[in-house]
This record gives sequence, C-alpha cells and structure tokens, in this order.
Amino acid sequence: MILKTFQKETKELLRDGRVRISVIIVLLLLGVAVWISAKQYQNINEQYEAAKIAERAIWDNQGEKNPHSAAHYGTYAFKPKYPLSLVDQGVDKFAGTSIFLEAHKRNEAQFSAAADQTGLARFGDLTPDFILLFIIPLLIILLGYNSFTKEREMGTLTLLKSQGISNWKWLLGKWLALFFPIFCLTALLFLIAGILLGNLNDFGVFNSSSLLMMFVVYVGYYIIFINIVLLISARTKKSGISLVVSLCVWIIACLAAPKAASNIAETKHPYPTRQEFAANVLKDKKEGLDGHNPWSKEAKLLEEEVLKKYGVDSLHQLPFNFDGYRMQKGEEHEAEVYFKHYNYLKNQYTQQADVYQSLAAISPYLPTRFLSMAIAHTDYATHWDFADAAEEYRIATQKFLNDNFAENSEYGNWGYRADASFWKSLPTFDYDPPELGSILSRNTSNLGILGLWLATSFGLLLFTTKTV
Amino acid sequence: MLSYNFKYELKILLRSRWIQLLSIVLLLLFGFSALNGKQKVEKRKKDITAAHDEVKENDAMMLKLLDSVERGMEVSASRWTIPTSPMAVGNYHPRVAAMEPQPMAFMATGQADLFTHYVKPKVTGDDVALNFTEMTSPVQLLFGSFDLAFVIVYLLPLLIIAFSYNVLSSEKESGSLRLLAAQPIGIRTWVLQKLGLRFFWLSILVVGSLIVVFLVLDLNPFAQFNLFLGLLGLILVYMLFWFALAFLVNLWTGSSSKNAVALIGVWVLFVLLVPSVLNQLGNTLYPMPSRTLMINEMRSLKAEATKKQDEILDNFLRDHPEYAINDTTQFRGFYHRYMASQKIIKEELSPLVNSYEEQLQKQQEWIGLFKWISPAIITQESLNQMAGTSTGDYENFRNQVVDFAGTWREHFMPFLYNNTVFSQADYPNLPSFQFKPKTHSSSQAIPILFLVSLGLFGLGFVVSKGIKKGGILETN
Repeated sequence: MILKTFQKETKELLRDGRVRISVIIVLLLLGVAVWISAKQYQNINEQYEAAKIAERAIWDNQGEKNPHSAAHYGTYAFKPKYPLSLVDQGVDKFAGTSIFLEAHKRNEAQFSAAADQTGLARFGDLTPDFILLFIIPLLIILLGYNSFTKEREMGTLTLLKSQGISNWKWLLGKWLALFFPIFCLTALLFLIAGILLGNLNDFGVFNSSSLLMMFVVYVGYYIIFINIVLLISARTKKSGISLVVSLCVWIIACLAAPKAASNIAETKHPYPTRQEFAANVLKDKKEGLDGHNPWSKEAKLLEEEVLKKYGVDSLHQLPFNFDGYRMQKGEEHEAEVYFKHYNYLKNQYTQQADVYQSLAAISPYLPTRFLSMAIAHTDYATHWDFADAAEEYRIATQKFLNDNFAENSEYGNWGYRADASFWKSLPTFDYDPPELGSILSRNTSNLGILGLWLATSFGLLLFTTKTV
Repeated sequence: MLSYNFKYELKILLRSRWIQLLSIVLLLLFGFSALNGKQKVEKRKKDITAAHDEVKENDAMMLKLLDSVERGMEVSASRWTIPTSPMAVGNYHPRVAAMEPQPMAFMATGQADLFTHYVKPKVTGDDVALNFTEMTSPVQLLFGSFDLAFVIVYLLPLLIIAFSYNVLSSEKESGSLRLLAAQPIGIRTWVLQKLGLRFFWLSILVVGSLIVVFLVLDLNPFAQFNLFLGLLGLILVYMLFWFALAFLVNLWTGSSSKNAVALIGVWVLFVLLVPSVLNQLGNTLYPMPSRTLMINEMRSLKAEATKKQDEILDNFLRDHPEYAINDTTQFRGFYHRYMASQKIIKEELSPLVNSYEEQLQKQQEWIGLFKWISPAIITQESLNQMAGTSTGDYENFRNQVVDFAGTWREHFMPFLYNNTVFSQADYPNLPSFQFKPKTHSSSQAIPILFLVSLGLFGLGFVVSKGIKKGGILETN
C-alpha cells in the first residue's frame, strides 16, 4: 500500500506541467550556479598562488637590512579558497582575504569582496548554497502543498478511507513521493560537485567525507521542510490556504528570522567600531613596555632585571644586544594586548552565536546554514582560525628577527645589517583548516538543534495525521 | 456598482478579519524594523560624537605639551611623539573625517553595516591602506538587516500576494461567480474595482501604520516632509505594481493555488533571482582587479622606492622648491625621504587604485541600465539613496576622505621640509573635515514604476479580451 501510494503520487507529479517546469528551472539555475562558482574558485586560487609566490620573493630579496627594519617592512598572509566553497560560499564574500604581518601590530584581514561590489551584492548571489537553502525548500512547498488538501477538494478522501488503509501507511507513501524527487535532485548536485572537485588539479583539503556530511545535513533540512509542508497540508482545508501558510513558514524561517537574529545579536552584543578598537588597543599598549622606547619606566625595570639576572653592571657587558631583547619583550607585551582585545571580539561573537541558536527554534534554516558553512570552511570560525594562525606566525616571525638582532650585534649598534641570504631561512606560512571531526564537535549544538527539529517535525506529523 | 462593491468589500475584509490582521502585522513589521534602524543610527551618531570628543581631549593634551615645550620645560612623553615635530602632529593627532547620518538614514541599512562612518587619516601610510570597512561579524553582513527597506521591498509584495491572489478564483470556487456574471458589470471592471479597493485599504493601512510607528518611535515624519512624501509615493507605486501583477494573474483565472504559485514565482524572479543574476553578470563583465595582486604591485613599488630613496628625495626637492623655501638647516631625516617616496608611490599606484573605482563605476552604470527589469532593485536603490546609505554615498565619502588625507599631508609638508617646528600658534590653522552629502538626481523611479503599473493594467484589459471569449464560467 505504501508503494502504491508512492507510485500514484509520483506519477501525478510527473504529469503535472508546473512540477516539470519548476524542476527544470531549478536544475538550470543549479547548473549556472555551479559553473560560476567553479570558475570563481579557480580564478581566485590562481591569484592566491601567484600572490603568495610573489610576496615571498619580495621578502626573500630585500637585501642587507636591519632585522627590525625587515619586521616593519613586514609580509602578507593570504587566505586561500577551499574546495567546498564550490557548494557553499558562506561568509567568504564579507571576510577579508589578506593580512599584513608587521612589527608591533596585529592587523585585521583586509579587502573583502563585498566592499568592492555594488549595493546589488546585498541581495545575494546566484550560488549553489542560495539554491540549496532557499529555492529547494520552495520547490518542496510547490510539490507538496496540496498533497492532502487535493484529496479533500476532489472528494477522494472518503474513497481512500474506505480502502482500509491505515493512516501512517498512506502518509508514508505520500512522504516518500515527496522525498524521492528532492533526494534525487540533491544527490545529483552533490555528485556533480564531487566529480568537479575530484577533477580539480589541486585537491587541497577536500575530502569526500566532508561532502557526504554536507549532503546529510541538507537532506535533513529538506526532510524537516517536507514534514512541515505535509503537516500544514493535512491540517488545512483548502489548497490555497495550505500554500499560503507554507509560504509564511518559508518566509519566516529563511528570510525574516536570520535578519531579525542579526539585528538582535548586534544590539545585544555589539562590536566596537574599528577606530574604537584601535584606540582601546593603543591605550593598553601604552601601559606596558614599548620596544622602541628605552626611557620609559617599564624599559628601566626590564634593564634592572636583566642586569641582575646576568650579574653584570652595564648593558654593554651582556652577551647579546639588549636593544633586540627589549624589542622582543615589547613585542610579547603587544601580542598579549592584541590577544586580550581579539578575545573580547570573539567573546562578543560567541554571545551573538547564542542569539542565532535561540532563534533557530523558529528557523531550521539557521542551524543548516551554520553547519553547511562550517563544513565548507567558509564560516566565521574558520576565518578566525586563519587570522589566529597568521597572528601566531607573526609572533614567531618577530621572535625570529629580534633574536637574530640580539644575538648578532652588540648593544647600541642600530647599524647592524643581517645578511641578504638570512631572510630565506624564515619558515613559510602554512595554514591548514580544521578537520571534519573537530568542525563537527565544534558544532554539536547546531547538529543537536537540527536533530531536534527532525524529531519534533516527524512526531507532530505522525501525531496529527492520525486524525485526517 | 462601485459603491455596492465598496461596501461589500469593506464588510468582507472586516469580517474575514483581514484588515485587523494586516494592521497588526504591518504595525509589528514596521515597528520592529524602524526600531532597528533607529538604534543603528543612534549608535552611529554616538560613535562619531565619541570620536570627536576624543580628538578634543587629545588636542587639549597636545596644546599643554606644546606650551610646556615652548616654555622650555622637561616633558615626559616619548621623543617622537612630542608635537613640536610636525610629523608627530600629523600622525598622533589626526582629525576625524566623519560621515554624519542623513535624516532618513534609519530607513535603509544599505551599505551602512559594511562601511565605517569615520576614519582618521594620518600623514604616513597609504591611501589604499585606509580601511573603510567596518568591524562587523561577517555573519551579520551575510544575513543582512531587518530594516524598513526589507519590509517594503521583500515582505510588502508577499502581503499583497496573500491579500489578492484569489480575488476572482475564490468566487469561482465557491460558485458565486455565476451570480456575479448575472450582474451588469464587465468582469475586468469588477476585478479592477475589487483590487482597486483592496489597494485603497492596504494603502491606508500602510500609510497609517507608518505614521503611527514614526510617531511612537519619535522619528518625526513631518520634519522632513518632502522626503517623507517621497517615501510614501515610492511605497505606493511599488504596491501598485504588485497589484497590477495580481490583476493580470487574477484575470488568467486558474485555481486559487495556481494563481498563488504564479505570483510567488514572479516574486522570486523579481526579488531574488534578477538582482543576483544582474550582480553576477556585472561582476563577470566588469571584473574587479585582484586585490591580492594589487598588494604585490604595491610592495614591489615600495621595495623599488626604498632602494632609491635618496635619489627620489633629491628629485622631489628639485620639483617642489616651494616646500623648502625657508630651509636654512638642510637637515634631511627619515621623514624627508619617506614622504618623498610616498608621493612617488602614490602617483605610480594611482592608475591601479583608480581602476577599482572605475570598475565599480562601470558596474554601477551597467546596473543602472538594467535595474528597470526588476522594480525591487529600483525601490531598494531609491530607498538607499533617500537614506544616504547607497554605494554611491559611501563612494562619495571615500573620495572626500582621500582628498582630505591629501590636504592633511600637504599641510605638514612645508613644516617638514623647512624644518620648522609646530607651535601653539599653528594649531588653529589645522585643516578640518566637513562631510558634504551626495545629492542624488531626483529619482525617476516613481513616475516610471507608475507608468509600468498602468501599462500592466492596460495589458490585462487588452489580453483578457482575446482570451475570455470562451467565457470565464466554463470549468477547466
């Protein structure tokens, strides 16, 4: 009986012109979106490779120089694009792509793509994630809004009841008929994505289990929508009303809730402005050691301490250049200040994330969006991760340069120049994004919310359709 | 017949509680979104005031220091921050270049969450390094803001669709169409009257709830009466456009759900698809040069300039004798070489830097040409312009700041190359920034949208004449 219902519903869907047209449109859109994203991915990664090599060459060939001048001269860390961004672009457009690494200062990632685009960019992009998150749920509504109401409207409900079919079997047939085409569509998309990614020259950090996990998340998201749409269809009398109510759910879940959440999160846990942040950092920096200022109170204290430790009575007698040593200590103090202030930002964001999660109660879109971005390495956490890695590299670089300065020159010798070949010995910056396992454990709450949605929607659907 | 229709329609809308429901929904939506906008604008104002206050405080400290130095006293500040050095003033005492919000800024967030509203340009550093983006979580930028513009552009059409998708089809489905057909009125006139009345009531509700929300939130709508009228005009023609579409779809008389599907399809097309496709095409046709490659270019130029900095300085002083006209000491330090090199780097980079603005301009023009495909884009753009938060407004601010950064730099050049010290007497002459808002050419959006809507109504009349020969009473 389940199979019969499934067959009948599928046949009906196939015969319906509306369904055929909308599936073709969705497929077409998906094709275009995947094609555009793949091109963009290749383009950006080519630029990334070129920039990385060129920047390293500039660093290596700076010639004889004082190591601290080189520290001020600085270098850049560039953020690559990850393979799964082909499926979900996430916040990539809004996050900066390059970080300037210099002495005394932690810089933020600069040059986000959105800042270089017109206001139209804020409407959204034609990317696979847009189709997956917005359009396919809409397709589900279109396919399923009249699943039960049509039986009422055509008068077939009584006939059906006289068949002696139990409600849950009937429901399961209908559910499967709605699930099957959506499942095929999604599977097709992920299969194409998998083939495309498999054929890319630089495999990067792509692994098929991430893609599979993403697929599972989206299928879960669609099951929730299928349950909701069928639930509404079973509970309303007219197809028109069922459609309008389902659409309301879609609007609230996909459009209104995320925007409202972002407003509430911002008012409750605001970020400082860029200038405020810089001013706060400056204030804290002033309270500690400044590597460039040998006359400050902190510098004198450090002097005494070092002299005592080495049992000598003048800085000239130290086995290293005290200027370089002080520079390094100052650098460590500054790094701590930045650590504190960036932690404050992270803290604000963690609290914002809580707001997003509490609003996930009215929107299955939110946990799906966050999970999908996280798996694709295009979420905010990955961006933080990259920025932290760049900062760690910056601190290590400063130590590398200051140590060379301290060890190879004597106190007061600012004229010291490191060898032209010295720069090559600085290790390169390499960043590996977190593995799937750690991403999932970081997102357990989102997974939990999605699971809760699944369970609740299934429960409600079974419970209410007992009495259709 | 019109008066019958009017009475009947009002009764039906009141009894089905449509009017009551709509007023509550509209009040809630407008209220929440306007409140969000208001909070944003208040924060923006507060931030700018705080920045100005900070500069004032710093200035007081600077003047005190200058006073002490001029009187020959010992000061405890680091050597290179003492404001007798013109470069110290230029670097450690920058002015605030702020973009004050326009009176209607609360209406549309536009690009306001992406860009910063004040920067403090210094004498050193590059113009390209001036960071105009605001420190925001990118998640927030991705989701966007629940502002009045969102309610008007995205949600209002959906309310209209829910309000009008089954005007004719429900009569058909409930069987009352046969009764109607016996009345002495053309079916098109009847649908038009019915939709006209719904448009009338919805307009009243929208305008009413907007005024209520504005008054409650203390956003006086009558202070900027012209702007407010413009806003109402824009909302009304946008609504009219969607009613015109509803009219067309209603005349086509499918079942209620077919109508709803068709209208939603059109909504998805105009509000979601057309803007994103246009944006994508704009980016493909006029691609932005890569910023990462720009960094490379800038770095190599700088590396080149540092190697030749003495030569650059000599050439520079030969080209600009006016800077060092009173210099007797002939002292040349780090900053003399640095500023000269910066100038060269800036000149050589300017074609590259300008190419970004040029490409953006081209994208903008391209969109300007094709935006008429989607009334949602036109409306959003007009709202952003009214609020002073459009891409153009921020571009205007950016250009003004870059100009000001130039003025600020130039101001200290004679001090630097003449090796003169900065004194208290020079303080009042420091340049300050005054933001001049961009004046948008009066929007053609309202008349054009109005004409398009009229055209759609006309189309409905003409087309349905041909189709409806068979009679609307026949079942499909």
